[in-house]
Amino acid sequence: MRQLIELNVNGEVYPIDVEGRTRLLDALRDKCLLTGAKEGCSTGDCGACTVLLDSMPVTSCLVLAASAVGKQITTIEGVAKGEALHPVQRAFMDLGGLQCGICTPGMIMTSIALLEENPNATRDEIRYGLQGNLCRCTGYDKIVDAVQAAAHEMDGRRRGTPRVETGGNPAMAGPLQADTTGGRSPGAR
Amino acid sequence: MTATETKTTTTNGRTDGANGVHQIGRSVPRIDALDKVTGRAQYTADLHLPGTCYGAFLRSPHAHARVVSIDTSEAERMPGVVAVISAASIARDLAIVVEEEMHAARRVLSLFPNVGGKVTYHGQKIAAVAAATKELAEEACERIKVEYEVLPPVIDVREAVKEGAPLVHDETKPVDGLDHGPFAAPTLFNIAGQNHRNEGDVDAGFREADRIFEDTYVIPRAHQTYIEPQSTVADVARDGSVTVWTSTQGHFAVRSNLANSLRIPLSKINVIGMTIGGGFGAKFGGIVDTYCVLLAQKARRPVKIIYTREEEFLDAKPAPGAVITVKTGVKEDGTITARQAWALWDTGVGSGGCYATNRVKGVYKIEHFKVDAYDVHTNKPAPGAYRAPGAPQATFAGETQLNRICAAMGWDPVEFRLKNMREGDQIAFKETLQAVADRAGWAKRQSKTGPNEGWGVAVGEWTNGAGPASAVVSVHEDGKVHVFYGLMDLTGTDTAMAQIAAEVLGVRYEDVTVSRGDTNSAPFGTASGGSVVTFSFGNAVKRAAEDAKKRLLELAADHLEVAVEDLELANGRVSVKGNDESLVTVAQLGQMALRSKGGPIVGHGSFASEPSATTTAAQIVKVSFDPDTGQVRLRKLYGSLDVGKALNPMACEGQMEGGLVQGFAWGLMEQMRYAEDGRNWNPGLLDYRVPTTLDFPDIESVMVEMPTKNGPFGVKGIGEPPIAPGVACLVSAVADATGVWINEVPLTPERVLHAIKANGKK
Ligand code: FES
Ligand code: FES
Repeated sequence: MRQLIELNVNGEVYPIDVEGRTRLLDALRDKCLLTGAKEGCSTGDCGACTVLLDSMPVTSCLVLAASAVGKQITTIEGVAKGEALHPVQRAFMDLGGLQCGICTPGMIMTSIALLEENPNATRDEIRYGLQGNLCRCTGYDKIVDAVQAAAHEMDGRRRGTPRVETGGNPAMAGPLQADTTGGRSPGAR
Repeated sequence: MTATETKTTTTNGRTDGANGVHQIGRSVPRIDALDKVTGRAQYTADLHLPGTCYGAFLRSPHAHARVVSIDTSEAERMPGVVAVISAASIARDLAIVVEEEMHAARRVLSLFPNVGGKVTYHGQKIAAVAAATKELAEEACERIKVEYEVLPPVIDVREAVKEGAPLVHDETKPVDGLDHGPFAAPTLFNIAGQNHRNEGDVDAGFREADRIFEDTYVIPRAHQTYIEPQSTVADVARDGSVTVWTSTQGHFAVRSNLANSLRIPLSKINVIGMTIGGGFGAKFGGIVDTYCVLLAQKARRPVKIIYTREEEFLDAKPAPGAVITVKTGVKEDGTITARQAWALWDTGVGSGGCYATNRVKGVYKIEHFKVDAYDVHTNKPAPGAYRAPGAPQATFAGETQLNRICAAMGWDPVEFRLKNMREGDQIAFKETLQAVADRAGWAKRQSKTGPNEGWGVAVGEWTNGAGPASAVVSVHEDGKVHVFYGLMDLTGTDTAMAQIAAEVLGVRYEDVTVSRGDTNSAPFGTASGGSVVTFSFGNAVKRAAEDAKKRLLELAADHLEVAVEDLELANGRVSVKGNDESLVTVAQLGQMALRSKGGPIVGHGSFASEPSATTTAAQIVKVSFDPDTGQVRLRKLYGSLDVGKALNPMACEGQMEGGLVQGFAWGLMEQMRYAEDGRNWNPGLLDYRVPTTLDFPDIESVMVEMPTKNGPFGVKGIGEPPIAPGVACLVSAVADATGVWINEVPLTPERVLHAIKANGKK
């Protein structure tokens, strides 16, 4: 049964039509054209589709779109505030927390929720919190490094100590449209 | 030559490069990192072309069966279905008339089984449908009626070679067998390929030995389990020209495969390589792209096919399993006199594996060495590459047995290896092993070992390939540098290439951009596999940058009225040696060039082949096991790798850690399982377990730099070797902890418990 619903994603309202069985992941990717959340399994096992539903991380492949009505949905596209990256995003970049990047949106969403709940998470707690997100490229070490570094950074901000420079890439700290063509192909429409 | 050991922490080398600091050796973030952390990177599934329809497959529920009939008529009549293809439809569309044509069309005709023909594995494609939605396409597949006559399957290679075993391919001729060894028989069946190697005289070698050891090792098929499934979008224009957007390690490879299998002229195919979500050897095309193009030809609309995770397990190209018997003779003085291996590789309906058996020899001085190895057909999908293809399996057999010999003889496994390792120009076997042993505190390990704990060590070797590569490097009028080529970035190679161009042109990495062309626009480049890229494209980019540098210096010499030899290029400017005042910036030169006789600054570089050097990965693990549950836990992990030269230490570590975990996981938990009726038993991530954050501890990585003459700045190809030693390392550590050598992996708790009980230990 088709129905018109409104999803609130990253602070914007998306009026979309869905079927009763439409999954939140498909609604986001195919209807809202927010393709940041990825599909790796469709069975809740890989975590690549993780988004936040009222700050709770959920695997959006197992959530019905209609059930997300009235909730605040946050996807990877909504994490950076304007040009300012979230500390977790920056740490993943700077510390090699990503390779192919397909797990990265889900990893970052889970990490943000994890640090929100436990700002002083230890390495073991970070590993525990990320167990639902599979990564086949990194062996996880550098992901844990990144989340830990982000935790320190966020802790520093809360205490008002100056931001620790993690030695990022100035060319990339610019607008999100920065020319990092490695990922986009010229021929793509 | 001595190796310089680089202590590596992730923040190492994070200098900004503004003051003449080298751009290579910097741990800069990946050039595509920003797009990836913000969700902007475009993977194939993210494409939404107007008018797209969706493809799905009907698959065989049987591992081995004859196809009695296929009826697609109901599916074709369904509203919303735009194309249905099967063997019959392809044959009709080809409208073949002459014999020669028939031969040329062989490959396209083999894409689906014919009526009267056979399906040879569970999940094999029978037909494909494109429809307005994915659900419709799946529903249409269900409406295709197929009758089968089920045949007995063969699943185990040891059964498959025996007389009387079901033949996977009816046309496979029996081959002469061996008169000795573990599978001696006059004739062998279901043989897909063979490899026989004979160095020296093993019989004489075994006669010299004081002790001879013989063991058989069994390792199952493993799936690469890239998190992004195989995916393609294809569109066909009115004039028949084909555009393909796909997740691949080699878009030129995809183009030639499509041209060959579908008989489309190369010039009419354009392949656009999208951001790839992991490949590890399995994404060279042929799994979905061919079918997607066939559907698009019929549909005349863009067709999108995204594999499900289940389809990945049923019908992709996993790493082959193997049964390897190794016999080794040693003398009391700790030398190896001879080594012999027999192997059966489980290559399903395809081939490829048996050559890797040669790696059983390892990195050791062994005068007498012999291999008899076979690829064996079973009712399973054809195999593909997985990182260093065949190396984990062969290294499991070779290295585990060396550790068992050391345990039996009372030798230290590290010292024994150091004593027997080959030496040679540009190779660092000993240095690499020593480096990891030092980092792990190997010599003092006894003092760090509690009850039910144990240590293992193993060494893997790999030689990177080389292939044709080309690049264009231009210097723009703002002094920024751009690299253009046809390289698929699998492991962060765009970043390394930007660093190389920056180094040569005396600018910062941050001032270099990289773009990848599609197959129409980019100069040819080999696919990203076989650790060829940094070696081959690195040389091409270096040459292109040097070409551009030549122009820069000529322009500067003209402008400053000095000879080229008197100039130096660094920090974004060209200055006269010994005279800091007299200079011109790269940006100024970029502008001058526009008005110069020679025009804009564009450098070209090409590369075909150079002998490449061998690299080594050595790993040490400490494990513990729970005698009640059989659960094995990894406690400490150390890996070393000879990288030649670390262009980007952080990226090198990423390769080392990712590869190491994949190797150990194969030994610890991964296995594709097949039921007796040949059906895939675990086609999902719940039952095919890959490691989570909880399965592995932190990893300590040590890089050894023994440069090779032929790699740019001395680099060696490093993507593959770290997967090689893991299985052997793990099994040996568990033996150290339990006193039982378990020669079959993965070491699931049940297997470990059972082995310990059977041996009456603990
Ligand atoms: S796609 Fe949702 S958990 Fe894998
Ligand atoms: S970076 Fe590739 S799966 Fe995590």
